[in-house]
Amino acid sequence: MKLAWALALRDLRGSRAGLRLLALCLFLGVATLAGIGSLTASILGELSARGQQILGGDIQMEVAQRLATPQERAAFDRLGPTSETLRMRAMAATADGETSVLAELKGVDAAYPLYGEFRLAEGATKARPGAGEVAIAPALAEKLSLSVGDLLRFGDAQLRVIGLIAEEPDRVGEGFTLGPVAIVDLIGLNATALVQPGSLYTTRYRIKAPALTDPGASAVRLSARFPGAGWEVQDKSGGAPGTRRFVERLGQFLGLVGLTALIVAGIGVGNGVASWLDGKRGAIATMKVLGAESRIISAVYLLQIALVALAAIVLGLLIGAVAPWLTATIAGNLLPVTPRADLYPIPLAVAATQGVLIALLFSLAPLARTRAITAASLFRTGVEGTERPSGGVLGVMALFAAAIAGLATATAYEPKFAAIFIACVAGLLLLLSLLGTGIRRLAARLPRPKATLPRLALGNLHRPGAQTGRLVVALGLGLTLFATLAFIQTSLTTQIERTVPKRAPSFFALDIPKDDEARFRGAVTGIAPKADIQMVPTLRGPVVALNGKRVAEMKELPPEAWFLRGDRGLTFARDLPPGSRVTKGKWWPADYAGEPLVSIDERAANAVGLKIGDVLTISVLGVELDAKITSFREINWDTMGFNFVLVFSPGALEAAPYTLASTLAVEPQMEAAVARAVGKGFPAVSIIRVKDVIVQVGSLLQQMARAIAAAASVAVLAGIAVLVGAIAAARQARIYDAVLLKLLGGTRAQVLGAQAIEYGALALILSVLALGIGAGASWIAVTRVFDLDWTPGWTVVLGTVAAGGIGTLLLGLAGSLPALAARPAQALRSL
Amino acid sequence: MSSPHIVMNARNVTLTLGSAAARVDILRGVDLSVTQGETVALLGPSGSGKSSLMAVLAGLERATSGKIDIAGADFGVMDEDQLALARRRRIGVILQAFHLLPTMTALENVAVPLELAGETDVFARATAELTQVGLGERLGHYPVQLSGGEQQRVAIARALVGRPALLFADEPTGNLDAATGATIMDMLFARQCETGATLFVITHDAALAERCERIVEMRDGLIVRDTGA
Repeated sequence: MKLAWALALRDLRGSRAGLRLLALCLFLGVATLAGIGSLTASILGELSARGQQILGGDIQMEVAQRLATPQERAAFDRLGPTSETLRMRAMAATADGETSVLAELKGVDAAYPLYGEFRLAEGATKARPGAGEVAIAPALAEKLSLSVGDLLRFGDAQLRVIGLIAEEPDRVGEGFTLGPVAIVDLIGLNATALVQPGSLYTTRYRIKAPALTDPGASAVRLSARFPGAGWEVQDKSGGAPGTRRFVERLGQFLGLVGLTALIVAGIGVGNGVASWLDGKRGAIATMKVLGAESRIISAVYLLQIALVALAAIVLGLLIGAVAPWLTATIAGNLLPVTPRADLYPIPLAVAATQGVLIALLFSLAPLARTRAITAASLFRTGVEGTERPSGGVLGVMALFAAAIAGLATATAYEPKFAAIFIACVAGLLLLLSLLGTGIRRLAARLPRPKATLPRLALGNLHRPGAQTGRLVVALGLGLTLFATLAFIQTSLTTQIERTVPKRAPSFFALDIPKDDEARFRGAVTGIAPKADIQMVPTLRGPVVALNGKRVAEMKELPPEAWFLRGDRGLTFARDLPPGSRVTKGKWWPADYAGEPLVSIDERAANAVGLKIGDVLTISVLGVELDAKITSFREINWDTMGFNFVLVFSPGALEAAPYTLASTLAVEPQMEAAVARAVGKGFPAVSIIRVKDVIVQVGSLLQQMARAIAAAASVAVLAGIAVLVGAIAAARQARIYDAVLLKLLGGTRAQVLGAQAIEYGALALILSVLALGIGAGASWIAVTRVFDLDWTPGWTVVLGTVAAGGIGTLLLGLAGSLPALAARPAQALRSL
Repeated sequence: MSSPHIVMNARNVTLTLGSAAARVDILRGVDLSVTQGETVALLGPSGSGKSSLMAVLAGLERATSGKIDIAGADFGVMDEDQLALARRRRIGVILQAFHLLPTMTALENVAVPLELAGETDVFARATAELTQVGLGERLGHYPVQLSGGEQQRVAIARALVGRPALLFADEPTGNLDAATGATIMDMLFARQCETGATLFVITHDAALAERCERIVEMRDGLIVRDTGA
């Protein structure tokens, strides 16, 4: 081993450059994987570390549309200091009522916040709002052109702006909001008169648990104490569950994209090692002449590969380790929380292990081939040592591949999805390898074209030592990545415009008091007589039990069972809602007036194995209600109407205080006037412009698309490096051809023409393949990962793939330019 | 069992290369015995099989059939790695294209065979050998920094440093000008004389062949003349 080390170090002195492709590919792959892993861990770490602050306490008790009863409040207070906050959507209007926008109105008590700091920006007149005062988010000030000291109207109250919010410590825990926040004290909130029986608001009680108590256990006890009261309980370990799930899911997907980059890089590693060892054939044969056994030779080159790989991996890990800090600096405001700049050993260890495994997996085959190089190869040239790896080597390679897949699966958020993803990537590699062999064999069997250039091009595809296999894999991967990215990107960005129906409503109006229905209709139709107004009753409450089994006691809820988490919008209807279709069971008769029945979304029912006839229990304002499931529905979520997972039979919920929600479709020129009229005449009604929602969701999708593009761009970079490596490996043969052709009277155009035909044919075949595979891969990503519709923009996709193909062609031709520039005699001397 | 003074004994050696569809018989039954310290020139036109015979005798190529006894080792039954081990102490090879390891200095190139054999004082012995061939001042130079003649001297030093019983030289002056070639051959014969190795030279050069004690001529894979037979 000592000798192998000595020989390896000596050889490495003069041959480092040959391993550049290996180093570059491995660096890119490991840096990506380590970066994504560290970033995900840093965000999740921050969510955990700031769990109390994000949740607003050690324990949070949340209930919809009501306050805690005195008994409940007493129980909270006994556990520790408690803070009460109320939160609701509401229209914020200028003092004259002329302009109004949707906002999140939050009433806080004097104890708020229990953790963290509530801070107003410089220029505030007070530290926190008192009676008749409000602190607003900068976005709200901008939308309504408000300054500190101006008046703002919420419901019946005129509130004076005391400052712009600089820090709202529990912001992340509040989840997705449609409007900017405005914070008032509870007296200010009462003055708005927006909190009425039936209006949609959420009350949260955050409790500061004494030290040495277990908040999780206390939360479970509290939950058990008020089982039917509709409380949703969280402790600090599970703050912002939606954000956490989103980060975990997106992190997993990006991690798999990163692994793909590393696998692509692995191809580059394999090609780089193969080319490097090809250049060492003479040295290997000489070593054998001098008495070196295959074992020593393998060790000498394996050690060199290991040293260079190690350096690349360490460098990649360094970049990956600073990714959280870099992201926080560059794009911190785009993330739900600022990534915590720290060292995250687990993702770094995973990336390093994957890097080592990839380097070993892809180096093994070319390394094993050195055993076949004989001492006699010094006497004759040929293609010796290109045979397939032995069964033993293939077995070890299979072990490494299994370890890579196993590690990726074991560290994934959803192992099944990760396993499918890896299987798809492995399948793609296999397919491309087979295609490369197929193209070579086909080219060898095709009749020789009469024209010289096509004949040369065809010959180049199958001649001994042709790089067709490597080019097909590298180019195929690159183009497939381009196509997949373009498919995903355009699907995400065109999602909204494609799914918005032709006659989408102009507004959603929420919290319309049920007694104001006629007045509301009159106000709208008074301005827009042709307005289409659809109204549904609405109230909120959680599902608390399925067939008598308490949801709170269910250990693990599948991701699809989202309807069991927290409050759900509930409604009741006589007729089947438009856009829904009964898939199982029966809809109740229009005149039904019996025991409570419920119709449930088919996907939700299947997620938890519900059947027709099962009993579902909801809690509305602390009162539990059992309802028998009589039908499953398929809901068309794209109608942009009100779609409810749970629709109850008439009579079941009518006694509870509820409000109405409405969709308003009016002519575009009437929109502003309708919004103004509703704002002025119904201060308690929240009116949401559909266009605003589309812009907000669109910008979220854009950010996701950018994150995917950023991760995948490294895979593309690795793909380009692989391609350049494959082209470079064939460069000597190309130069030889080019010089000989010129020697025989060929023009530069003819020389380039032959190569253009070769690369062009490959690019064309692979572009078609890339489109097919990219379509499949992107469909899985868009529909399974993001739960969105696959709506690609074909112009962009085709343009991207075409650009990739043309880029490849140019890259290939660029490799021959140095030879073309030289005079034949001069070039021949250097060959 | 070989006679004590016979260092190499080949009997009915054949070598066939290529696929079943395009088989080429390179050696077609060669018999040859060489004694310790003998100098042998192997002559013949291109394609006569002389380089292949050398490759087979030096254990660089496995014969298709026949028996080859080199300094007491049966090369006919060894695999590639066993041949490599057998070469270490028995055989030195000098090639027309020098085949120095480009990433190693002259000293390291000469030291490699000793290192592979696990011997001690390798650098001291390599230095001594290079000094013997007149390159004591060029120890740290890489092959690209040496002239063709110097590179071939490094190759000679590398071939002799392990004190092999048999020294094979394949067209050792083929890549050198006449004057340098003559100097190299003088040195090779002098070193062979000093070490007592058997020298086996492949050459087209009749004058060079005449300097050897014995001339073996090949044609079409067979020995057609052997002055020592």
